[in-house]
Amino acid sequence: MMTFCGSGIKVPRKPVEKVIRCLLAACAFVAVLTTVGIVLSVVFEALHFFHKVPLSDFVLGLKWSPQTAIRVDQVGSSGAFGAVPVFAGTLMIAMIAMLVSVPLGLMSAIFLSEYATRRFRAVVKPLLEILAGIPTVVYGFFAALTVAPMLRGLGRFLGLDIASESALVAGLVMGVMIIPFISSIADDVINAVPQSLREGSYGLGATHSETIRKVVLPAALPGIVSGILLAVSRAVGETMIVVMAAGLSANLTANPLEAVTTVTVQIVTLLVGDQEFDSAKTLAAFALGLLLFIVTLILNIVALQIVKKYREQYD
Amino acid sequence: MTEKKKYNLHSVTDRVHSGLSRRYRAEKCFRRFGVCAIGLSLFFLVILFADIMHKGLPAFLQTQIKLAVFFDPELLPLENLETADFNALLKSSCRALFPGVKGRRSKKSLYKLVSDGAAYELRKQVLRNHKLIGTTQDLWLIADDELDMLMKGNIARNPTGRFNQQQLYWIEKLEQDGRLRRRFNLTFFTSGDSRDPELSGILGALSGTVLTLLITLMFSFPIGIGAAIYLEEFLKKGRFSDFLEVNINNLAAVPSIIFGLLGLGIFINFFGLPRSAPLVGGLVLTLMTLPTIIISSRAAIKAVPPSIREAALGLGASPVQVVFHHVLPLALPGMLTGTIIGMARALGETAPLLMIGMVAFIVDIPKSFNSAATVLPVQIYLWADSPERAFTERTSAAIIVLLVFLVLMNASAVYLRRKFERRW
Amino acid sequence: MNMMLKKQFYENTATESKLPDADGIRQTVGEPFLENSRISCREIDVFYGQKAAINKVSLDIGSNEVIAMIGPSGCGKSTFLRCLNRMNDTIDSCRVTGSILLDGEDINRTDVDVVLLRARVGMVFQKPNPFPKSIWENVAYGPKIHGLAPKKNDLDEIVETSLRRAGLWDEVKDRLDELGIGLSGGQQQRLCIARTIAVSPEVILMDEPCSALDPIATAKIEDLISGLREKFTIIIVTHSMQQASRISQRTAYFHLGNLVEVSTTRQLFTNPRHQLTEDYITGRFG
Repeated sequence: MMTFCGSGIKVPRKPVEKVIRCLLAACAFVAVLTTVGIVLSVVFEALHFFHKVPLSDFVLGLKWSPQTAIRVDQVGSSGAFGAVPVFAGTLMIAMIAMLVSVPLGLMSAIFLSEYATRRFRAVVKPLLEILAGIPTVVYGFFAALTVAPMLRGLGRFLGLDIASESALVAGLVMGVMIIPFISSIADDVINAVPQSLREGSYGLGATHSETIRKVVLPAALPGIVSGILLAVSRAVGETMIVVMAAGLSANLTANPLEAVTTVTVQIVTLLVGDQEFDSAKTLAAFALGLLLFIVTLILNIVALQIVKKYREQYD
Repeated sequence: MTEKKKYNLHSVTDRVHSGLSRRYRAEKCFRRFGVCAIGLSLFFLVILFADIMHKGLPAFLQTQIKLAVFFDPELLPLENLETADFNALLKSSCRALFPGVKGRRSKKSLYKLVSDGAAYELRKQVLRNHKLIGTTQDLWLIADDELDMLMKGNIARNPTGRFNQQQLYWIEKLEQDGRLRRRFNLTFFTSGDSRDPELSGILGALSGTVLTLLITLMFSFPIGIGAAIYLEEFLKKGRFSDFLEVNINNLAAVPSIIFGLLGLGIFINFFGLPRSAPLVGGLVLTLMTLPTIIISSRAAIKAVPPSIREAALGLGASPVQVVFHHVLPLALPGMLTGTIIGMARALGETAPLLMIGMVAFIVDIPKSFNSAATVLPVQIYLWADSPERAFTERTSAAIIVLLVFLVLMNASAVYLRRKFERRW
Repeated sequence: MNMMLKKQFYENTATESKLPDADGIRQTVGEPFLENSRISCREIDVFYGQKAAINKVSLDIGSNEVIAMIGPSGCGKSTFLRCLNRMNDTIDSCRVTGSILLDGEDINRTDVDVVLLRARVGMVFQKPNPFPKSIWENVAYGPKIHGLAPKKNDLDEIVETSLRRAGLWDEVKDRLDELGIGLSGGQQQRLCIARTIAVSPEVILMDEPCSALDPIATAKIEDLISGLREKFTIIIVTHSMQQASRISQRTAYFHLGNLVEVSTTRQLFTNPRHQLTEDYITGRFG
């Protein structure tokens, strides 16, 4: 016998459902907690640091040599925590990486989405994506042990003095790592450009490349720009390649053949090994971390916002 | 008006025609750029792989040296075998190879051909089998890393290098007598890190990796799926959901080293969890991979058509029942794929683990989630820093092992996706 | 089982599209051929992969005439239109056979330069598709790529004349720097027409140019087409019979890939010669 209000039908039990919902909500909340955790862990230590070293010295100072400032009383006077050379090095390496990855990634994406046959694309696209799946420590090894000696040899041949930990090596290898990142974003946005725009251009007698250069790329530009911003954020935050292939000492130089250091390299060198937790040296790492977090956050938010706007435009 | 007339004077066709060859050249040029870009990118890929294979594959073989070992009862007193001088045993066996060697320096350079680890090997053998004492055995023992490098052609065979004239003569003699051979390098897979390249292996790093990834999987899979379900099925669209969405997207793009700072600041300094432990490493990697898993799980849930939910709701199922009975089973393959990809990323991650101290020199193989450990990528980083030529080889070999795991994981993700790909 | 049925169904419909052949529809009734034709098409077949989209269409198009293509959707009228400037080249699986003579030259041969051809035979599309550039840039795009105007002055001149011809000048002359996408639908479509005539083509193809527009915008474009006739040959695909009767001199009726009837517009709408045409214009299907 079955009745609708009898025991034949299992009525969902409210309390259990509520517990499950709360559990699920807690899971989602972990993401928020993570962000809060990042901010807390970085901000507090950074504030400690700025008590010891004024913010202006940190942001505007031209000399970075944290190793000398072991004793607290040394810090204020020495001014060894000027982060400008560190920023400059980071920027230079990121820029070299962009110079490698943007043209290569963009042109690869254009060729794959506009010219290549379906078969070619099916083979080459996954191959390019392998580059993105290789762990960064492998790139670091490759940069330090293969590319650096190679470039040094090349430099000697050309009569140039290339440091073995030059910005060029780290930037070059980082650029290779970022190629698939750029190309897959560019591929997405190029495919999102409506076919009708291409037809309009062909209909006027434009050649394939004219259509791409003058219609497709301008239409895809916002998406491409946001992809590049995301790539910059990745290049700035990339750690292993620079730790293994870039220098440790902070040089303020515009010469890519010299060794420079980056924010991430400094964080690693300051924090790896035994540390006193309250020394300015350790805290400086957190200040750099805060800076890195803010910069990448801004880049990401701007990029994601552009992508969102762009999607709306063609939906 | 005169302007316009001029414009009409030449027919449009002629004007277009005159520019055509230039435009087609530009077209060809542009196309060639594209081909070059792809060619260069693939060239880098090939070079990278070729370089690592070239450097790493020889490490899977190891040079061994055959010694006639006389297990001298005088050196090996039965009552305290544990503490017996096996180094002396080894040395006397070496001297037995070339009885004519005199002088301390010569002898020392002779001992250098055999690894320090060979003494441990002898000790192991004797402890296992006491009957060996008093006999003479032909044993294949691990050669020194420099000799190994020489045999593999990485060190030049001339007396100005690492080896002196005498040593080179001995090596030649040993080769002629068939006392040198290359065998599969089992040590590489069965031992932990060591200062001696020929004795070092990846087992310690591998088990550290397994422990760390177990923690990561244990936390990130349920939390990621739970969060995805909550965001897709229960959370009303609005300001809070937008905030969560932006939050998760941003976390996905935060540099991994920042997660290391989080682990150091919160897990170690605030909660007082042990440094260098797989537990902390796993937690940090959990937070790092969560966004990836959440994003792909949400996509998998979104792909389940609403009609299925409506059908179940129409039959009187509660929302929670709908999710757990209908949506989750259908979305699970997609979620698994995302999780595998996230785990693959975690497997290759190094930077955040440096922050929490999983970068120490650890000989013992970690057994628990709390013991000091390192992971494979960090091991690679550590070895890459070592100056010995033999470590370079081992670094590349460890990279090959790491890449094999990555390929397996990604291949299984692709397989899952292919197998369960459904078009509604 | 289900799959089998489906397959059979598709095969049936595929053969169905060839059935009219046997009935003799292939012979186009009316006056498809002209004495002094600008374009003459003979036995054009178009295939998408294995599927035939157009069967042996033969048709002449005269100078300075507006010819309308009508027919139920999927009858191949747009496909036919796209043959005339080789736009079908952009679709991988598409194959066109037969001869299309433009001023005596076969444009369907592989050695014909499509860039040059498309400069001579312009096209306006169903949905207005201005480029994401300024209004000025949109119109100047064609002349620029073809190198028609070496100086900026010349370009300005061309842009102005083209916009005037397209009846858009007065509306946009003060905001030539604004994005073309910012215009209304009807203005966008006129911008696309201006963009097309800026290259001074001989023939303009229009693929349902008003289907995305409201009646007022449609009326403006229809006026424009009648005016453009003096300078250009215009081939227009439309789903509106009223529109065809308002603007065209001749009308061609397509049915399932066949060209059924071509007559003067008045004749076709008042006294159709083929049963299918009559059924269509009286609204029995379509």
